[in-house]
Amino acid sequence: MEGDVHSKGRASWDLGNLPHVEHLRIERPDSPTPDLVEGTEPGAGQQAAMFVHSRSVEDLTTEADRDAESRVEPQPVADGDPGSCETLGTSENGLQVEEKIIEVVQAPKESSWAESRTKEEDICSDGWRSHRKHVFVLSEAGKPIYSRYGTEEALSSTMGVMMALVSFVEADRNIIRSIHADGYNVVFLSKSPLVLVAVSRTCQSDKELVRELQYIYYQIVSLLTLTQLNHIFQHKQNYDLRRLLSGSEHLIDNLLRQLDRDPGLLLSAVTCLPLPSSYRDAVSASLQAAKAESLVFSILLAGERLVTLVRKKDQFLHHMDLHLVFNLVCSSSSSFREGEGWTPICLPKFNSAGFFHAHISYLEPASELCLILVSTDREDFFSLSDCKHRFLERLRKRNAYQALKEAVKTPSYSVDQVGILELRHFLYKSKSSGLFTSPELPGVYQSEEEQERLMGLYQELHSRLHHSTRPLLSIYRCGETENLMAWLTSGFELYLCLTPLVTKVQAVTAVNKLLKWIRKEEDRLFILSPLTY
Amino acid sequence: MAAVTQEKQYTPSLLSFFVYNPSFGPREGEEEKKILFYHPSEVEKNEKIRNVGLCEAIVQFTRTFCPTKPVKSLHTQKNRQFFFEPEDSFWIVMIVRNPMVEKPNKDGKPPTIEYQEEEVLDTVYGAVLRQCYSMYKLFNGTFGRAMEAGGVELLIPKLEKFFYRYLQTLHLQSCDLLDVFSGISFFPLDKMTYLKIQSFVNRVEENLRLVKYTAFLYNDQLIWSGLEQDDMRILYKYLTTSLFPRHSEPELAGRDCALRPEVSGNLLHYGRFLTGPANLKDPEAKFRFPRIFVHTEDGSEELHLIVYKAMSAAVCFMISASVELTRDFCERLDALVGPQLTLLASDICEQFTLNRRISGPDKEPQFKFIYFNHMNLAEKSTIHMRKTASVSLTSVHPDLMKILGDINCDFARVDEDEEVIVKAMTDYWVVGKKSDQRELYVILNQKNANLIEVNEEVKRLCATQFNNIFFLD
Amino acid sequence: MSEEHYLELCENPVQFEHASSVNNVFFDEANKQVFAVRSGGATGVVVKGPDDKKSIAFRMDDKGEVKCIKFSIGNKILAVQRTSKSVDFINFIPEYPHTEFSQECKMKNASVLGFCWTNWNEIVFITDQGIELYQVFPDKRSVKLVKSQSLSVNWYQYCPETAVLLLSTSGQGNVLQPFVFRNGTLSKMTKFEIELPVVPKPAKLSLSERDIAMATIYGQPYVMYLKHHSRTANSPSAEVVLYHLPREGACKKSHVLKLNTTGKFALNIVDNLVVVHHQSTQTSLIYDIHLREPDCALNTHQPVLPARSIHPYRIPLTGPVVVPSQPPVPCQLYSSSWSVFQPDIIISASEGYLWYLQVKLPPTVNLQQDKGKLMDFLLRRRDCKMVILSVCSQILDGGERGSLPVVATVFDKLNQVYKEYLEAEQMYTLAMESGPSRNSAAQKRPVRTQAVIDQSDMYTHVLSSFTERKGVCHKFIIAVLMEYIRSLNQSQITVQHYLYELVIKTLVQHNRFYMLHQFLQYHVLSDSKPLACLLLSLESTYPPAHQLSLDMLKRLSTANDEIVEVLLSKQQVLGALRFIRSVGSHDNVSARKFLDAAQQSGDRMLFYTVFRSFQQRNQRLRGNPAFNPGEHCEEHVVHFKQLFGEQSLMKAATV
Repeated sequence: MEGDVHSKGRASWDLGNLPHVEHLRIERPDSPTPDLVEGTEPGAGQQAAMFVHSRSVEDLTTEADRDAESRVEPQPVADGDPGSCETLGTSENGLQVEEKIIEVVQAPKESSWAESRTKEEDICSDGWRSHRKHVFVLSEAGKPIYSRYGTEEALSSTMGVMMALVSFVEADRNIIRSIHADGYNVVFLSKSPLVLVAVSRTCQSDKELVRELQYIYYQIVSLLTLTQLNHIFQHKQNYDLRRLLSGSEHLIDNLLRQLDRDPGLLLSAVTCLPLPSSYRDAVSASLQAAKAESLVFSILLAGERLVTLVRKKDQFLHHMDLHLVFNLVCSSSSSFREGEGWTPICLPKFNSAGFFHAHISYLEPASELCLILVSTDREDFFSLSDCKHRFLERLRKRNAYQALKEAVKTPSYSVDQVGILELRHFLYKSKSSGLFTSPELPGVYQSEEEQERLMGLYQELHSRLHHSTRPLLSIYRCGETENLMAWLTSGFELYLCLTPLVTKVQAVTAVNKLLKWIRKEEDRLFILSPLTY
Repeated sequence: MAAVTQEKQYTPSLLSFFVYNPSFGPREGEEEKKILFYHPSEVEKNEKIRNVGLCEAIVQFTRTFCPTKPVKSLHTQKNRQFFFEPEDSFWIVMIVRNPMVEKPNKDGKPPTIEYQEEEVLDTVYGAVLRQCYSMYKLFNGTFGRAMEAGGVELLIPKLEKFFYRYLQTLHLQSCDLLDVFSGISFFPLDKMTYLKIQSFVNRVEENLRLVKYTAFLYNDQLIWSGLEQDDMRILYKYLTTSLFPRHSEPELAGRDCALRPEVSGNLLHYGRFLTGPANLKDPEAKFRFPRIFVHTEDGSEELHLIVYKAMSAAVCFMISASVELTRDFCERLDALVGPQLTLLASDICEQFTLNRRISGPDKEPQFKFIYFNHMNLAEKSTIHMRKTASVSLTSVHPDLMKILGDINCDFARVDEDEEVIVKAMTDYWVVGKKSDQRELYVILNQKNANLIEVNEEVKRLCATQFNNIFFLD
Repeated sequence: MSEEHYLELCENPVQFEHASSVNNVFFDEANKQVFAVRSGGATGVVVKGPDDKKSIAFRMDDKGEVKCIKFSIGNKILAVQRTSKSVDFINFIPEYPHTEFSQECKMKNASVLGFCWTNWNEIVFITDQGIELYQVFPDKRSVKLVKSQSLSVNWYQYCPETAVLLLSTSGQGNVLQPFVFRNGTLSKMTKFEIELPVVPKPAKLSLSERDIAMATIYGQPYVMYLKHHSRTANSPSAEVVLYHLPREGACKKSHVLKLNTTGKFALNIVDNLVVVHHQSTQTSLIYDIHLREPDCALNTHQPVLPARSIHPYRIPLTGPVVVPSQPPVPCQLYSSSWSVFQPDIIISASEGYLWYLQVKLPPTVNLQQDKGKLMDFLLRRRDCKMVILSVCSQILDGGERGSLPVVATVFDKLNQVYKEYLEAEQMYTLAMESGPSRNSAAQKRPVRTQAVIDQSDMYTHVLSSFTERKGVCHKFIIAVLMEYIRSLNQSQITVQHYLYELVIKTLVQHNRFYMLHQFLQYHVLSDSKPLACLLLSLESTYPPAHQLSLDMLKRLSTANDEIVEVLLSKQQVLGALRFIRSVGSHDNVSARKFLDAAQQSGDRMLFYTVFRSFQQRNQRLRGNPAFNPGEHCEEHVVHFKQLFGEQSLMKAATV
């Protein structure tokens, strides 16, 4: 993009593969270059990243089971092995599980009333039709499982048609992808034994919508495990899955809301609580110290932002699994506030066959800080509970805790701190670490529709950059409401929202200025040194 | 990829094309009645019924989400299906097979086929489908008209007759942005010569009172149209992609001038009919001309289409179909128009070459661009070689053309001015500019250029090519 | 029939006492005066002319029959010839003595054929043996010979306009010797020979002065020779031969007017037309030597129009005894008692009238079917404007409407003249600018004749009414307008925008918007601010007009402010700002205008953007984002705070 930087970049990293970490330490250029090699871009972790490395959204569309095996190696956790899953799959065990889930997630019913009320609407009304995005889940028998708006009952015939279309096309050994009409698209995703359908009035590409349906699919899987899901439908073709899911629809509802707002799900990355590295390292250390035999991941969240994550060696957490955890916590926070929660959870990207068991608790009832300890052992509640207390003690001993609480209270950062007048907002994702950062939305974008509009714009840019056959390196778009810029390099992914009156010259300088700034702030905005037990 | 031995690439192709009207066979077992035309005809009956059924189902299904705006296209792994309802409950459906790659497998396993699902652009083929209808309408009038005139018995053969031939002329592999615009290329001309043409047209129309509308073209580019825009648009399409190519012979602008002296000397002329009688002298000559339908305040009117050409200048005379065209009339026309047109043609040519000389020899333009103005349908492309009946050759990689298509879609969504500059993986820069009703697409092959330089390039282009129009910057 | 008479006698002729036994009448071509001499002047002389008003009356002693009588120029001195030897002078300058004095011709036994005044006190005697130029001193009552030339003279003719004296010499009289008088001197011009139809054997005087006349046509002196047909020679009919008589150089045959008949003829020159009266048929023919007819050999001319008689004339009975009710009596035209003088004078001595002959243009219109020729003819006439304009409206009118090619030729001819005038004008102004020093001859401001029909004439008298006319097919109207514009362009005349407006008006009226669009596309309607504004006003009926007018403004390149206004009026505030920036005047526009527009649009985002951008401008220009009081943006600041809160305001600190 910028002539001189360009060539310099070419020169320094011509080999293109990851250099040694130490080597990096010195060599990290402070202004990233177009083809900044992965792991050297701002926000790149020092050790291997804490996440399953996500190239981009593509890996979502690959079949679940396939990534399951590719990810979970060496042979994952005692419980997670297929064998035990079978037993888990037997009906009464299944029911057990079912209860367990319910006991946990049914608690916040009241919160989910809000949604359930909105569901009672006439599906022939314009109101219903004009929703920005419908999502339907149905069984291959055409039985309704979930609908974002309107009751499943009212929609059963519609869903019947959907299923008919799917199977009609399949009859020609063909696959239905989507239907396009003026102002809205219908997108189909059939993941046996489920069929998911989105009807969207947004400008998102089919691929974006499919990706969102994937999220919904995995959300459901994470509640039941794929094994159980398959088992149920093999067992009873037109089983009404709502019986199993009832009470947890709000998880899907909330996830859908997140998809419209949270860039993290778009970028396949998570954002961190800005925190001086010294403090963060302290927190991580305390978390690392509080380990237990069965512990696989310890995750500390501040609201929807990650504070730190410690993992078992060679065990990677896929960002999607993490997002599902977030979703679980955020959409049922109230239930975990008092006391400690103990819930089975399937991390489908890690292993869609089995359940983990998550110990979920808030450090303090009032606080935003939520600790999630993921264990392989169903019976291990107390040892994990113990881990939590050890962690808290260590943390309290250090002053890190105070700083942490301060950081949580203060909102993220404002774009003004970057000091670029033309800049309104941006997203920056460090590819290797799977982390992204972005400032608070400025005043003009805070209203719900503005926020969703902006997200929509980012989504458009994203899907253009990652187009499966015509990918782009960079996009610059002048519009009536803002000028946008997107830039994809091997190291990072950057999206800028600028004032529409910015000139191209200004824009280009803005980008470089911004990257310098991020480099300057990286140890506060990112987790540079993730830990393992 | 490279490792795989000779994989076969298949371009998008027409799977089927059919016209149906659900209201014609409402009852069980009558479904066949709905089908008015089906290509390929050899498909067996139940298959036809099945496919039409699916279309109906999808239309119904989409109505549940927007009763007024039903389906436009259906994407499946193997193909794209395009829907168009030009007249109330008459549906035209075109099914295009996605391009695919056939990869041979070792040890005699059947080759694996990969469908390239992102290659076919809805906007492009949707436009192609609408064009099919417009073309039918140009020569046959609306479906409704046929129905009034003679019911299904009349309509079906009309459809057969027209589409049988027309579908063969579709070249789906070479469709692109230009089909979306289906614009008109105007011939650049100085004011004076233009005025000469004006008075020529006026004089002829005064002289041959029968002539209702006239259109004047040179080098297959439009100079004057007495028809309204939309009619001219489709007529122009017909002339440039079908009629002219059929009669094409090396009539390159250069030759006209050479002819000048002998022409002005004795009034021999080079005029001849492209439609109607091939040779006036021939006593057997038939004076039948194609009929076309154009819009009027109240519905449409039927016209004879006379296309008369002298060297590179072609004139369309349109005469109400109600009058019988006689040999005498044609001879009068020939005698009147022939000489004048011949002269005019060489005038235009002279002017043209003159202007060229002024503007300097036209070297291969360093800018590859497509320009289109929705207001007057003016279209300009340095990307396409001269469109022939068969294929329109583009001088850039198809993927770049598709990127143009993508940008065009973005523009179509909102009617705000917009500018998009993208850098493709191939290091090509593609710029899309939309100002008021105009769209400009530029492709730059400057690998190491940066955004600013690219912007400068485009500015330069606008300054040279479009300095006479208002382009928001 | 009557509307076909294209020649007429003037309304108010000069009246005088008709010739009789007691009253002799003389005519002086120089002063165009008629002398009625009663009984040799004893009972009085009445001088009338050049018009009916002026008249002088006096008495003089009857000293015998008066042969010739003329005033010197300015009526200073009266010269009377009574004998063939001498001429008598009478002073008419009041303070000088009134008594006659006389002068005999110098040459022995020569007889005076006549005399002509060449100045107020210069007179030339023409005798059969030569000419004698005298200067007259009325105060001293004496006459002094200035110069004389001796040659044998048959007869003479004098043209006062050119002061050329033509003498017929030689036996046959067909050798003509011209002299020219210039400020007191006479100079001999090269003599020339009139070729006679037949050379008589034996030689005898065969060129009569009646067949010769001198006149100026289109500013050039000519000798006109009425060449009678002769049975012997192969000239079937009579013709008029014009000899061009240049100041220097030989006089030579230049034009031949075919009369296509025989008989008695008389010649007049009216409005540069040669009028030939034919007595036997009582008709007249007119010739225009500048009209070239392709179908006959160079400089041979056929009558412009078919022969017609002069418009019937009625003599109003006046005089002492008049019964009011009595109707005027018709006057007999072409009577043998008529005598015709150059250029345009007809005198009927018997009735006592002097008429000026006039050309009436309106009738010619219907007599010449070829509108092209008609235009050529009319464009050369004096009072042609209205007639030409009427012809224009006529060929556009339903009745005998002309075909487009005809219309085109007419327009082309008009614009040819128009163009020549404009070019002359241009030359003149250029010369003026370059300094009036050099060749002052060329510096004469070109006269604008009536033949110069400019666009406003066409617009007001022809086109505007034509376009409004009911029942004319709009196709034709537009075709005509385009022809006119075409013709103007062809002669490189810049078209006035009101013509374009007319075109647009017509097109819009018949909503031929696509035509309009195409015209503009090819810049047939040239750019101008008024036109651009007109287009803007059409936007409501034809949206594309907006684009067209913006393009036009852009091309004018002097209309950036207008462009901004247009964009703002469409609430394209960003567009306006981007445009401003592109033309580089971003730093000196008033923020208020844009903020107002943004606020009116009601678009939060837009207002935010515009407001912030101006804050940035302030920052850049003044190092402080705040607005100056002078900019009057207080309300906008308030509005901004209301929408986005204090904190969204740009702080001076940032940057």
